[in-house]
Amino acid sequence: MIMAANAAPLAGASRGTGAPPVFVARGLTKSYGSGDATVYALRDLDLEIQQGEFVVLLGPSGSGKSTLLNILGGLDVPSAGRAAWRDHELTGADEAALTAYRRDHVGFVFQFYNLIPSLTARENVELVAEIARNPMPPEEALALVGLSHRLDHFPAQLSGGEQQRVAVARAIVKRPDALLCDEPTGALDVETGKLVLSAIARANREVGATTIIITHNAAIAGMADRVLRMGGGRIVSIERNPHRLAPEDLVW
Amino acid sequence: MLDRKLLRDLWSLRGQVMTIAMLIGAGVAVLVMSVSSFLALRGAQQAFYAESHFAEISAEVKRAPRPLLARIAELPGIATVEGRVSGDVRVDWPGAEVPVAGRILSLPGSGDQPALNRLRLLAGHLPEPTRQNEAVMHAAFAEAWRVRPGDGIALILNGRREAFRIVGIAHSPEFVFTSRQGSPLPDDRGFVVLWANEEGVARAFDMQGAFNEVLLTLAPGASEAAVTAELDRLLLPWGGRGAYGRRDQPSHRFLEDELAEQRILAVTVPVVFFGIAAFLLNIVLGRMVEAQREQIAALKALGYPAFPIAAHYAKFVAVICLLGSLLGVTAGAWMGAGMLNNYRPFFRFPEMPYLLPVWLPFLAAATSFAVALLGVYAALRRILQLPTAEALRPARPVAFGGRSLGFLGSRLGAARKIPLRGLLGRPLRTFFTVFGIAMALPMVVLGLFWWDAMDSMVDLQFDRIERGDAFVALTDPRHARAVRELARLPGVLAAEGQRIVPVRLRAAQQSRLLALTGLPSNAELRVPRDAAFRPVPIPQDGIALSRRLAETLGVREGDIVQVEMLEGARHEQDLPVAALVEDVIGFTALVEIGALNRLMREDDLVSHIALRIDPLEAGALWQYLAERPRVAATNVKAVWLRAFDEVIAGLVLTSAVTLTGFGIIIAVGVVYNSARVALQERGWEMASLRVLGFTRQEVGRILLAELAVAVFLAVPIGLFLAQWILGLILGARDNESFDVPAVISSGTFAAAALVVLGAAFASAVLVRRRIDRLDLVAALKARD
Repeated sequence: MIMAANAAPLAGASRGTGAPPVFVARGLTKSYGSGDATVYALRDLDLEIQQGEFVVLLGPSGSGKSTLLNILGGLDVPSAGRAAWRDHELTGADEAALTAYRRDHVGFVFQFYNLIPSLTARENVELVAEIARNPMPPEEALALVGLSHRLDHFPAQLSGGEQQRVAVARAIVKRPDALLCDEPTGALDVETGKLVLSAIARANREVGATTIIITHNAAIAGMADRVLRMGGGRIVSIERNPHRLAPEDLVW
Repeated sequence: MLDRKLLRDLWSLRGQVMTIAMLIGAGVAVLVMSVSSFLALRGAQQAFYAESHFAEISAEVKRAPRPLLARIAELPGIATVEGRVSGDVRVDWPGAEVPVAGRILSLPGSGDQPALNRLRLLAGHLPEPTRQNEAVMHAAFAEAWRVRPGDGIALILNGRREAFRIVGIAHSPEFVFTSRQGSPLPDDRGFVVLWANEEGVARAFDMQGAFNEVLLTLAPGASEAAVTAELDRLLLPWGGRGAYGRRDQPSHRFLEDELAEQRILAVTVPVVFFGIAAFLLNIVLGRMVEAQREQIAALKALGYPAFPIAAHYAKFVAVICLLGSLLGVTAGAWMGAGMLNNYRPFFRFPEMPYLLPVWLPFLAAATSFAVALLGVYAALRRILQLPTAEALRPARPVAFGGRSLGFLGSRLGAARKIPLRGLLGRPLRTFFTVFGIAMALPMVVLGLFWWDAMDSMVDLQFDRIERGDAFVALTDPRHARAVRELARLPGVLAAEGQRIVPVRLRAAQQSRLLALTGLPSNAELRVPRDAAFRPVPIPQDGIALSRRLAETLGVREGDIVQVEMLEGARHEQDLPVAALVEDVIGFTALVEIGALNRLMREDDLVSHIALRIDPLEAGALWQYLAERPRVAATNVKAVWLRAFDEVIAGLVLTSAVTLTGFGIIIAVGVVYNSARVALQERGWEMASLRVLGFTRQEVGRILLAELAVAVFLAVPIGLFLAQWILGLILGARDNESFDVPAVISSGTFAAAALVVLGAAFASAVLVRRRIDRLDLVAALKARD
């Protein structure tokens, strides 16, 4: 067993603040099918993530990183084990509770931006601000990602990188506790990708959102507090960066 | 290979396939129903008219000598002439709660069929030449009372009671539609037509060696107008009352009016259904092509020519049309047969088989397919012209113009802007969606408004205009003393005399034969009304015409009409149109009774008496009137209204249920398909919103708000359309038998709106369930 990596003390170690972790996963398992045909996306995974931490999940396709993110984001439920965000149990929660959790605490950034094409950049951000408890003004969120000059453009009038930055602004406008990003630079070229990552890093810093980024681009690892490598449904290694690199200093 | 894909596409879109097939089915059903029942009715009519040698021109005359027939036969343009004696009779029919009226017509007396208007015997035989008390009875009355050959009947002919024996039951081409006094409803239990040998009939009406009706057919190429004019000239000295063609023959006219209505139905209603189906196919197939553009491009890249790919999508449409046509032909044949059964009590033909012509299903299917292809033409063309390389890339997102929404922009939240931009971003689609849903309302309104129309007809004709309970026709005009005599009878609360004279009205190019009624100026049992239902005083000098009659004649208030009396000394007089009045059944023309008597150069005469009676003494009163020799017929309003209810209620209910069903098919078809397409197009967006923390309700609201706005726009537009279409249909009706007022009650409007809102809501709920099943995780991945 390569279970050493999953040992609680290791995974739990963070910036050493001693504060309780915000995300806790214990024995998390996600399987599809039954009997011999059972396919495991996650196997008995343990994990703790601290408040404000910037985590990069690395791994090839099928390693389980998306499944883990979906469970932490309240989009999916595990087959066994438990996952919790602070005092919110994510495992036994019903649809409505998960929706409320996503609405109140989580900001999502998707690989394909998922903007509403009939709304302008400002309106896309406003859309989420409308249902948030304590949002920042949409213009402020867009300023954080450097798009103050593109407020009234429709997605079709924006470049891919600009669209993704709108998506980041949309994710942070609610001042989320957690910012979950699924391959945010997957559809972008290097320079544009760096702009988006800067926006995410800035949000992490200024909003204080615990940030988890999924990627299979190992170069992004440099900007994380912690890098979790996944394979076969487990965390196979954990690295801690003594110094986080600025996105513009990343090389890939 | 492509065919397997076709089946999968059809299956995965089965809800949409079915709702569109239902729309096509409804159009096909109406087409099949109206064309097939039209053809069956027309076929029965033509066969019976030909077989029975139905007269083309008829004329009534007071009393003309037999030898005049030979002179008529010599007129140019005449093929066959038949003279006969006819008269109104009263029937002493045990079991009838009110007096039964009848008409007796003479047969040649040779034991042979007449040359024209021959009878089709259903049972028995014609009277033996020597038997003057044998009679053939029309099938309508015989069926209503289960009369068989051998049964007896007592008639009061010209005041004398005579016993007849029924020897035959028959149909007649001039009584395909049978009613008394031009009533728009059959009265099979209260009105009988009989045929007996000429000798006996002539003796009863004092017509030996004479005739009072002449029938004729035209030689090929002869002009009806010319022959009519010549005939009138010959008959004038003998009291001719004006010859008329089939157009004015009551039975024929009623049948033609109905045929004309079927023809309108056959054209208009299917167009609506096919049009909406074409629009829905356009958006559904357009969406399908859009979703499958990469597949299409891949097929093209693999070397598939464009045509078979387009043909593949055309097949998709063809399958839907075929499905709809199968449904529609089945339903249409069933409805057509039902329609024909509805006709049977109205139109008596010896045979009226329901036939579905072989070509009709094909015509219906081909029409629906042609219209549907027209609807998907744009989508198919896009496939054929799609450059392979471009198609392999995902479609660019729809560009939305107009950044601001005007003053709304600052007031509406972002969530509200999504549906609004959806509506404004595709104005054409929005227009057709609104229009499509709106068209559901006229359907429902057309189904339900008949109750309003019938209520309003009965209210106007029988509550406001004819305020008496019974109407007595005298055998011939009597002095007004007769009114006072009747008024003194027990059970009679009020009696009012009327003088009714057959006249021909002429104005410019138009002329009409009708009954001119003279009313006392203080009449209370018959109160003419204007368009606002206010009583109209009976004009002292001049004539009051019904609005519809005035329109037919092309005259207005103040214009002059020429009145030719077709009774008595046949004076002619020009009269100004002094007032326009409303009526429902037939055409009304009124003058003051004293003025009419003066025009006729008559004493103070009445021919009809309106009565108000005490219902408790009604039975004894009908009995007394039945025995009076001078009373030709007594019509009782309550009986007529009951017959009206019996005949009409079933028809109205059938039409209401059918058309409401059609309205629901339209509303569900448009709303369900629009919602499904919206979900297909924007499911990914909606799933994204769910991930961002929007609840199912919020996402459902955002997606369906666009449709909700469309539905709420459609309702008032639909109600307006309903009023307009109803006006058009009733205006095009051109039915002189009776007028259907374009009255729609607020209850009908509300019911139609509720039906459509309900259908829309139910469709939305079906789609809403799909929102609940949106795959949130998929939204994180690539779209479509």
